Parts: sequence; C-alpha cells; structure tokens
Amino acid sequence: MMIAALAFYVFAAILIASAAMVVSARNPVHSVLFLILAFFNAAALFLLAGAEFLAMILVIVYVGAVAVLFLFVVMMLDINFSQLREGFQRYAPVGATIGVVLLAELAIVLGGWKFAPGAASLRFAPRAEGVHNTAQLGQLIYTHYILLFQASGLVLLVAMIGAIVLTLRDKTSSRHQVIAQQIGRMAGDTLEMMDVRSGAGVRELGIIRPKPAPEPEVAAHDDHGHHGGGH
Amino acid sequence: MGGAAMTWMSLNWTLALPEIVLSCCGMAILILGVVSRGNFFRLGCMLTVGAFLLTAMLVLSGANGVGYSGLFVTDAYSVFVKLLVLAAATLGVVMSLDYNEHENLRRFEFPVLMLFSTVGMMLMASATSLMTMYMGVELMSLSIYVLAAFARDELRSSEAGLKYFVLGSLASGLLLYGVSLIYGFTGSMDFALLAKALSDPASASPGLVVGIVFVLSGLALKVSAVPFHMWTPDVYEGAPTPVTAFMASAPKVAAMALLVRLMASPFGHLLAQWQQLIVLMSIASMLLGSLAAIGQRNFKRLMAYSSIGHMGYALIGLAAGTQAGVRGVLIYLVTYVFMNIGTFALIIAMRRRGRAVEGITDLAGLGRTDPAMALGLAVFMFSMAGIPPFSGFWGKYFIFTAAVQQGMWALAVIGVLTSVIGAFYYIRIIKVMYFDAPDEAFDVRPASLSFVAGVGGLFTTLFFLYPAPVVAAAEAAAKVLFG
Amino acid sequence: MTITDIMGEGTDMLAVGLGHYLAVSAILLVLGIFGIFLNRKNVIVILMSIELMLLAVNLNLVAFSSALDDLTGQVMAMFVLTVAAAEAAIGLAIVVIYFRNRGSIEVEDVNLMKG
Repeated sequence: MMIAALAFYVFAAILIASAAMVVSARNPVHSVLFLILAFFNAAALFLLAGAEFLAMILVIVYVGAVAVLFLFVVMMLDINFSQLREGFQRYAPVGATIGVVLLAELAIVLGGWKFAPGAASLRFAPRAEGVHNTAQLGQLIYTHYILLFQASGLVLLVAMIGAIVLTLRDKTSSRHQVIAQQIGRMAGDTLEMMDVRSGAGVRELGIIRPKPAPEPEVAAHDDHGHHGGGH
Repeated sequence: MGGAAMTWMSLNWTLALPEIVLSCCGMAILILGVVSRGNFFRLGCMLTVGAFLLTAMLVLSGANGVGYSGLFVTDAYSVFVKLLVLAAATLGVVMSLDYNEHENLRRFEFPVLMLFSTVGMMLMASATSLMTMYMGVELMSLSIYVLAAFARDELRSSEAGLKYFVLGSLASGLLLYGVSLIYGFTGSMDFALLAKALSDPASASPGLVVGIVFVLSGLALKVSAVPFHMWTPDVYEGAPTPVTAFMASAPKVAAMALLVRLMASPFGHLLAQWQQLIVLMSIASMLLGSLAAIGQRNFKRLMAYSSIGHMGYALIGLAAGTQAGVRGVLIYLVTYVFMNIGTFALIIAMRRRGRAVEGITDLAGLGRTDPAMALGLAVFMFSMAGIPPFSGFWGKYFIFTAAVQQGMWALAVIGVLTSVIGAFYYIRIIKVMYFDAPDEAFDVRPASLSFVAGVGGLFTTLFFLYPAPVVAAAEAAAKVLFG
Repeated sequence: MTITDIMGEGTDMLAVGLGHYLAVSAILLVLGIFGIFLNRKNVIVILMSIELMLLAVNLNLVAFSSALDDLTGQVMAMFVLTVAAAEAAIGLAIVVIYFRNRGSIEVEDVNLMKG
C-alpha cells in the first residue's frame, strides 16, 4: 500500500507539471510532447485505480493516434513561433486569479466527498470477483451498452466525414496516368495527314500547332495532348 | 441488474428502430454519394428528406417503453420532440438545395452530416441516462461544427466553425465534469435511479449541486442562453445561411427538450436548488435578446439575438417547474421552429445579381418590389414580436400563464416588457420593407425557398384556428415527465 | 463517511484516498480551462487544453468507478475517450482550413468573447 501511494504521488506530480507545461510552453511542439507525457502519467494513475484496460487504451489511442495527429498538424502548419506567446503574459494574471478561485471552490466542494445514502444499491455494474477488467468491460459494452457503442461508431464516422470534407481537395492540377484514355486514343485523333506543297509553308494551309484539343483540360497540357508519363 | 442474464430481445431494441433506420439510410446515402459519378448533392438531399419522412412515420408508429437496459426511452415526450426535430431538419435540408448550388457548396456530405446530427438529436430526445445524453449531444454537435465550417474557402465560415468548436468543446467538457460528479455522488447515471436517490432534497451534497450546475452550463451553451450566448451572433453570421437556420432550430429544440427532461425528471425533487438559476438565465436571456438586437444591421446577427431571447422565454416554462410550464415550453418550441425556419428561408432568398445580401437595409421597399416575400417576412416578424393572432403570441401566452399560475409574476412581467422592447426591432424591419424607398429587386426566388417559407408562414398564420392537436400532444408529452 | 462504510469492507480499490484523485483531476480541469482562455495566439494549444479537460473528467470517472466498485464509470470513460479522439480530429481539420484561409492560427481577432 505504501509503494502504491508513493507511486500515486510521483505520477500525479509529473501529470500536473506536464499539464502546466502544455498550456504554458513557448513552442507548440513542446506542448504536444508534454501532452504525451501527461497521458502516460494519467495512464499510470488509471492502472493504480484498477482500470487496466482504460490505461492501455489511453496509451494506444491518445499517445499513438491523437498526440501524433497533433504533432503532425503542428509540423504541417507553418507557424511563426515568436509571435505565439505575446498574449499570454497579458492575460496570465487575470487567468491565474480566476483559476485559483475556481480551484479553491472545487477544493471546498470535493474535500470530504460524500456519497448518496443509497449509492451502493444504485450501482448498475458492480465489479464481479474473478473476472478481469477487460473481460468485464467487454461484457458490458457489447450487451447493455450496445446502443452507445454503436452511437460512438457514428461519432467516429462523422469525424471521418468531417475531416475529409473539410480538408480533402480534388487535385485537378496533378497529372495522373489515365490508362483507359491512353489506350483508347486513336491515331486519327492526334495524327493528321496533310498534303503540303513544297515551299508553300504550313501557315497558309490553316494547320494550327498545337492542334486544338476537344477538352480544355487536355489543351492545357503542353505536350500536344499526350496524357501522363506512360509513353 | 448488471450481472443478470440478458438476451437480445430483453434489450427491447425495436424502440430505437427510427434511429437505426435513419443511421442506415445515412450510411447508404454516403456510399451512394461516394460511388456515384457526377454530382450527387441534389439527389442526396432528396434521399435525406425521404429518410427523414420515413423516420417520422416510424416514430409515429413505434411502441412506447424503456429499452437498452434503461438507456433509452420512447414516450409521448420523446415522440413529440423527435417529430419536431425531424420537421425542422427536413425543412433545413430543403432550404439548402438552391443555396448550396449558388454558393458552390454542392457536396453530398452536407445532407449526410445533417442527417447524423439529427440522429444525435433523436438520441437526446430519448435519453434516460447521462451517458445517452452525452453521446447524443456529441453526435449532434460534432456534425454541426463541420457544417458551420462547411464553406471551407471562406474565412468567415471557418472562423465560425472554429469558434463554435472551441466553445462547444468547452461546454461538453464542463457537462462531462458535471456528469462525473453526479455519478460520483449517486453511483448511477440512470435518470430513474437518480430521481430515486435524490428524492430527499436534504441529502443533496455540495458536490452534487456543483455537478448539476456544470451540466446546466454545458446545456445552456447548446441552447445559447445567457451567460453562455457569446458564440451565437458570430457563429450565426459566419456559417452558411442554411446551416444557421438548421442550428437555430433543430438543435435548440433537442437541447431545450433534454434540459427540460433532465431538470424535471431526475432532478425534479431539487427544484429549489436549480429554479433560481433558471430564472436568472431566463431573465438575462430575454433582456439581452431584446436590447442587444436593437443596434444590429445584419439580419443573421439580429436573428441570433432574437433566438437568445426566444430561449429565454422558453426557459420561463422550465422555471415554473410544472406540467403546464413544460407544456408551454413544448408549444413555444413548435411555434419558434416554424417562424424561425420561415424567416431564414426568406433571408436565403435575399440575393441580388447572384450575390447573397444580409443587411436589414437591403430589405428597403420590399413591399413594392416583392409583395409576397414582404408579406411573409411581415407575418414572421409580427409572430416573433408576439402579436396576435400569429403563433408566436400563443407560444408566449402558454408560457406566461404557466408562470402566473405558479405565482411568478415578476418573471411574467419581465417577459411581457422584453417582448414589447423586442417588438420595436421586429417592427422596424416591417417599416423598412413598406415605408423606405425601394432598392433594386431581389433575384427570382427558387421554389424550394418559397415552399419552406410557405410552410412556415401557413403554420404561423393558421395556428390559432386549430391549435388543439399541438396543445393536446404537448399536454400528453408534459404529462410523461410529471406522471 | 467513507466508501467502506456504505459498501462494506474490502471494496475500496484505491491505493490512496478518493480525495487525492479528485484533487488531481480538479487541478487538471482548471489548467485546461486556463489554457483555453489564455492561449489567444495559438489554437492548437487550445485544442490540447480541451484534451486536458477531458482527461480530468476521465480521471474523475475512473476514481469514482473504483471507489464505488462499479464499472459504469469506466464504460463512460471509454466513450469519452472515443468522442475525444473524434473531437480532436474535427478540431484539427477546422484549424487546418482556418490556417489556409488566414495564414495564421491566432484567435485574437476571432475574439471568442465578443457578444
């Protein structure tokens, strides 16, 4: 019990310190890295509280996916770091005051937490003996909470649609190889046999180079209507 | 209950059939949109409208009961709210048909996101657990964040999306913290069990009350009641207009209905604890809605303040804490949705030479250039101001009488006073339309917008002739909460 | 009254008191709110602050779940994790289009408090 308590204090201290760094670090990349540290320590606290599965999920989903996504976006956007902190000093005193007041209020409320008299009888899913945490959660999620499980699927679907619809651009400018178009081309489309009298010049015959293409998109290409690099 | 053997049928899963069918339709439309060649936007919208109508029929024909281990309920209240939400969403999709074509937003994801948002709202209407409530709120909100930012090449729209996202996430964070405190106090998230645990108001600990306040603030931001209204004007102005119309109607209904169910059923015994809070929010919303709207020049911004005010009036009914009060809230929401959607349809119709205009002065002389549109707007403005015989008056009437019955005279008097102030700016619009020198005429109005405005206008005008079905349904719905 | 009084002996899973967990979570929540209102120049840090808030909620839920010896809290925490991941994806997508349109990720001018 003693070691567990000691571990709790260590992890909690690192968690709070790194959370403070997340909101105050000068460089957003550092913020993301501290966020990862915070998640690791929170996972440790979850483990101490007996929530093994959630601890693992936190590491896999948060550190593995969300934090990396953050890091990716921070790197992708070309951000001017020097300007980022300017507002912070200005708002910090007011913010700190409000924060301390809020914290004090929460401390009064949360200190000496009381449970409702009937709380023990209201529990929906008391822990069963001899079944490990992951199995128990699985039994709940796939039976009683199936509705919410499916709803969270919809939430993820919406996130996918949203991210795609907001950021995906159809690249009309890129030159993909369109094999069907390449094969389907007839010699007659691009080649034209002209009778040219020697010495008369091509201009008078009305032969325009490059040949005007049927589609404007193709005409924009400067290689006489040839598609892509497949030739 | 947890360890008990359960079977598939004991979940009572058919109760959620409307939601299941609607989600499946949404996914089917999504797949069709992805595989189809050419532009699927128009067809996608039509299919979405079809899905909404099908769902409405399923909602009407479904059985009542509690299912999914107490997470989900179908009762007269949820049916009422769902039908209203579906009606608002249907009109919202119809409205976007031509707007999105004009503004180059014709992507089929638009109606699909509206559809999934509606699924979230239906979950909120049926929630009997804090967990279902949270999932419903998030499904609704996440879709709307994307919709608000849908015009991705416009700074205004992406700013609106960003702002709504940040404040909405803050709200759901607060909501969740409140949920965790309530769970920590009682050991349960189920509304029925919570009501049982909290039947003795004396047992409420400070932790529980703080939890309820956190949940209340989270939901207040979704209905944009003062002091959580600050996002509303900017987001309404920046988002594409059909999205604004959608945001101002369906989610408001769902969030308000959820708030009412939450306060009336699990926390009903703690009325004394939350009543003052709701009264304050209501008064502040009504005052801000009517005073801040006076100086507005942009019609969409004006509508934002107007919606803040309307939510203030609806909150009066909740503050009364009685069956009559809840009935008033529901009737108010019905009248609000139809006049609101109708107004927005006419705002979308404000187009000159292919460009959307939103200023109130752009309406100058509309009475001469387009009498039909001016008449429609006049009806909606009179109704919003609460002038009889339009539906807006009756909404306010039911709310105020409920407050008076509870002896809340002050609240009712403030409500009447703020509606008089509010009438000033609604009537100013009518003055601009009929007495100012005509500006250039608007472009020809697409049939879809005339349809939506016509539906809204007919309902608003004719409600007083035959209010019985709405009143009776609202009565039955309110009775569920006070059983 | 401690939890063992109402739940019976040996049910308390927590190595340290529930109050310690609640304190850590309250500090995290305040830091998160603090971060949202202070970082006017950097939206990405605002998104991270939202993640911190949700982490605080999860810590609360897990602590209560352990103290009450009931798994509902953990199930809820799982759903919160899922939704938070979805929220991060959408938030970052919106930040990306905001950056494309504006060329910066400052929110000073957006002015979240403008009425």
